[in-house]
Amino acid sequence: MTLRMKLLVVPCAALSFAGGVALATSPQSKPAAKAEALPQHVLPPSKDGNLVLGLCDGETSMEVPGVKEGQKLTRAQAFAATSKLMEDWRQKNPDANWDDAPVLAQATAPDAKKSPTPAPQPNPGSRPAGGDVREGGVGAQTDAKQVPQQQKANVQTGHTYGAFSERDERIWADSTQAFVKEGHRVFHDADALGGTVGVSCDMCHPDAANTHPETYPKYQVQLGRVALLRDMINWCIENPVRGKPLADGDPKMRAMEAYIYAQRKGVKLEYGKH
Amino acid sequence: MRLPSGVVTVLAVVLHSGVGLAASPPSGQTLATPPKLPPGVSATLWGLSVPPGSEPTPEKVALGEKLFREKRLSVDNTVACMTCHEPELGFTDGKPLSEGVRQQKVTRNSPTVLNALFNATQFWDGRTGTLEDQAKLPILNPREMGMPDADAVVRKVRGIPEYVTEFRQVFGREVNYDDLAAAIAAFERTQYSGNARFDQFITGDSKALTASEKNGWALFNGKARCNSCHAGNAVSPLFSDQKFHNIGVAAHKQDFVTLARKGVQVVRTGDEKQIDELALNSEFSELGRFLVTKQENDVGSFKTPTLRNVGITGPYMHDGSLPTLWDVMDHYNKGGVANPYLDGGMQRLGLTEPEIDDLVAFLFALTDTKFDALNKEQLAKQRARKNTRPERDTAIAMGKKGNLGDLAPNPDLAVKNPADLGIYGDVTPVTTTQRK
Repeated sequence: MTLRMKLLVVPCAALSFAGGVALATSPQSKPAAKAEALPQHVLPPSKDGNLVLGLCDGETSMEVPGVKEGQKLTRAQAFAATSKLMEDWRQKNPDANWDDAPVLAQATAPDAKKSPTPAPQPNPGSRPAGGDVREGGVGAQTDAKQVPQQQKANVQTGHTYGAFSERDERIWADSTQAFVKEGHRVFHDADALGGTVGVSCDMCHPDAANTHPETYPKYQVQLGRVALLRDMINWCIENPVRGKPLADGDPKMRAMEAYIYAQRKGVKLEYGKH
Repeated sequence: MRLPSGVVTVLAVVLHSGVGLAASPPSGQTLATPPKLPPGVSATLWGLSVPPGSEPTPEKVALGEKLFREKRLSVDNTVACMTCHEPELGFTDGKPLSEGVRQQKVTRNSPTVLNALFNATQFWDGRTGTLEDQAKLPILNPREMGMPDADAVVRKVRGIPEYVTEFRQVFGREVNYDDLAAAIAAFERTQYSGNARFDQFITGDSKALTASEKNGWALFNGKARCNSCHAGNAVSPLFSDQKFHNIGVAAHKQDFVTLARKGVQVVRTGDEKQIDELALNSEFSELGRFLVTKQENDVGSFKTPTLRNVGITGPYMHDGSLPTLWDVMDHYNKGGVANPYLDGGMQRLGLTEPEIDDLVAFLFALTDTKFDALNKEQLAKQRARKNTRPERDTAIAMGKKGNLGDLAPNPDLAVKNPADLGIYGDVTPVTTTQRK
């Protein structure tokens, strides 16, 4: 039940309880607002019954030759197909503002950025490699202060709250990292996302590139409304990934948000930016 | 086919950072590599808790265990560490207050050694920071093992030929008090305990907990507010914030205000030695953390104990005054016992009887499965006492009496389960981070 529904339903219930049954059932009482259905990305059917994949822009799609609708791609096939899709999109949108990789990651790895030769092709069949916390991000080993010798943890100066030791901070940083790590896992795993075609988030957003969480909330054209990051994640789960949207409080959703934000540490918060 | 350039960059970055990680250990301190740990025990916490150089070695552990069981460490050869920390009883003695040499009662309940290696401080009042320092004190405490001083202990152990040989083998030198403590600490550092049904549940077996226990877990994180002090997560799965809180236990059996006033006076004028005696041997022991920090807002506060194995390590509280977990729930349900130093987080909880039952059921699911039989036995014993509830005050708990404020809204568990919020939710399995 949404908050709005509660706001409507609760006073109605109270009124009817008080004896104002007529009021509650009168034509004037508003029907509970229904959540407006989101626009769907309708994919063109394939003549040969091939699997048709959609991109998260809500427009671009492609047939996967040799794979029938209802079949699931292997990770390698999905990688190849999504790369092709991305290429199509870039040709259509040569001026599009595409953030290749997290800003700070580039800053800390200048050699990698300027590498003239393309990096080796990933082994698409393998499990995703890579760090769950990018260079420069908050991790147990990057940002937390070092654990003190035991006597420092022994100091509590009379205040229960706020008397936090470096040990506490280390534990907190590690907990956050564990959450981000779980987000990294879900982001890279079509099955964990509930996908039916083998596509996972990282295939279009390697290492959460171009997810720009710092620009939400903002108007999303595909959704025809102002969206939060989680709304956009769900759009991608429903369309390119072909899974069921996750509930707001779903630990997988929460972990993915944590991961995506962690990849953009240090980027200026600019909600509404396009 | 061209890869999106993002892939290229990112791969390069990943390779780069991988190299970086392998090349440089975390800045400053190098963490020890933990042994193979059971589920529910965090490798990260192990790394944080075991000081470099104090990693248990098999030889030290064997000697430490022998010393842990050694009654000759006490003045009259009647008491060993094990007397109050009986491994078969979850490393406690099952008594409200422990007994030392010559049947003397000490002032506090013996805490479990299980997972004590992860404690930020040792003792109920946190007066030492390491297991080594902890091990030294009860041997010299007149009410516990009663040895007059460290030299006397060393002389006595040097008089036992087998120890002379063993210390030489393990430490390569004569028996000394530091090595003796180090060996005992090494043994204690192997007494970690996870692998409760709760851990099976958290790592993906949703059937490992009963419906009642799951509800208890939700209440733990929600209405019952247990997690505000008994915080647990995948990195620190102890269910303790390792802080000190006055929850009013000492105030329910005496005029606490008068006691506190006297105690504050003594501490302001007294010398260190006198204060130590206060902590160990007198009614002032009830002032808890205050005698360590000398800060008034620590009056009557004691360390939040771990809830791991709580079902088998009763009776509860620093003075063992609450025999069952039902009593503990009653205590918190009415917002503790009022006193001027009561922790600001204490409030009435408004828990109903079925909710209390669910919470207790959940707590019993935190016991390591190797203690299953004992856990069952303890649960049955405690349940048999369910109708003897001296701490119960339903009128206060439900807000019909007293002035302990309104409750937070009771979450509708069918809509949103507060236990799902952190990474200790029931859907996402979390594997503890392994240090490389």
